[in-house]
Amino acid sequence: MSLSKRIFQLMLLAYPREFRLEYGSDMTQLFRDCYRDIQRTGLICAIAFWRRMILDVIRTAPLERWEALERRYKTMKNLKGDLIGLVACAAILVATFLLFGYGRRHEIGTIWMFALDAIVTAGVVSNLIIFPLVMATRLSAFRTALWTLLLVNGALLLIATLIGNRADPEFNFSAVFAAYVVSFVFWLTFHWLRSQMRPQLS
Amino acid sequence: MAKEKPNPEKLLPLTSSVFHILLALSDGDLHGYGIMQEVAEHTGGQIKLGPGTLYGAIKRLLGNGMIVETDERPDPEMDDERRRYYRLTDFGQQVLKAEVQRISRLVSVAQRKRLLPKRT
Repeated sequence: MSLSKRIFQLMLLAYPREFRLEYGSDMTQLFRDCYRDIQRTGLICAIAFWRRMILDVIRTAPLERWEALERRYKTMKNLKGDLIGLVACAAILVATFLLFGYGRRHEIGTIWMFALDAIVTAGVVSNLIIFPLVMATRLSAFRTALWTLLLVNGALLLIATLIGNRADPEFNFSAVFAAYVVSFVFWLTFHWLRSQMRPQLS
Repeated sequence: MAKEKPNPEKLLPLTSSVFHILLALSDGDLHGYGIMQEVAEHTGGQIKLGPGTLYGAIKRLLGNGMIVETDERPDPEMDDERRRYYRLTDFGQQVLKAEVQRISRLVSVAQRKRLLPKRT
């Protein structure tokens, strides 16, 4: 029995590691039960039994290997998507910072400066929440982005309104409001485009 | 968040091994060896599930919520604690019924075509 069990356990190496860890001992137990049943029978039954076990491994191990490969590929694809998103996000922030600097030097209209300011601030705060959250939890990327952007832009608008009114007597609420709407739409469009390109784990 | 169950009809036709496993579990909770014996018995020994076929199918059935692992033991005194028992869920029952109805419709067609004698 011990040798047969060892041979069967060697055959189990054909299955992926996760499958072996989950079901390996159950499969060995089942093998032992079946082996016990055929021990009292003759040689022909024993040959038929081994033939059945070998064919079973040949039929099912490639399928399990394929499924494990598919799972790994999906995870890799998602990680790749997150990485591309992060790089694109950093590129947008750098470009916005540069535009912001250019606007200051050349005294571009206030509304555009407000919008760039909002995009940078809301972008940094929101994306620092969105990316780790989506990577760690595998929540829906677009929904997470929608609610985070709504909350962050809303909170920043509220803070700007509360502080701006006290600090600056010529505070322009409608310009700041428009700036955060532009920022919200900008980042939401970015995350929507990402979610269209990136497959979701079911 | 609870995963929404698909329409049972969409999972049909079931593979032969999945159908026989669900059928075996429709009488009550069983462990792997019990399922294998039950399947061999109700197919007259025609189908003998190997360990890979059985546990591959069990993995997929657990994944789509047709069966669950259960801690309850039918007869604790006779039982080996290491064995894992499986139970058919309500969703699994629905899928099994849908498959039985599908097969029954096929049998009716075969009877109309006189490939099978009609039952009296």
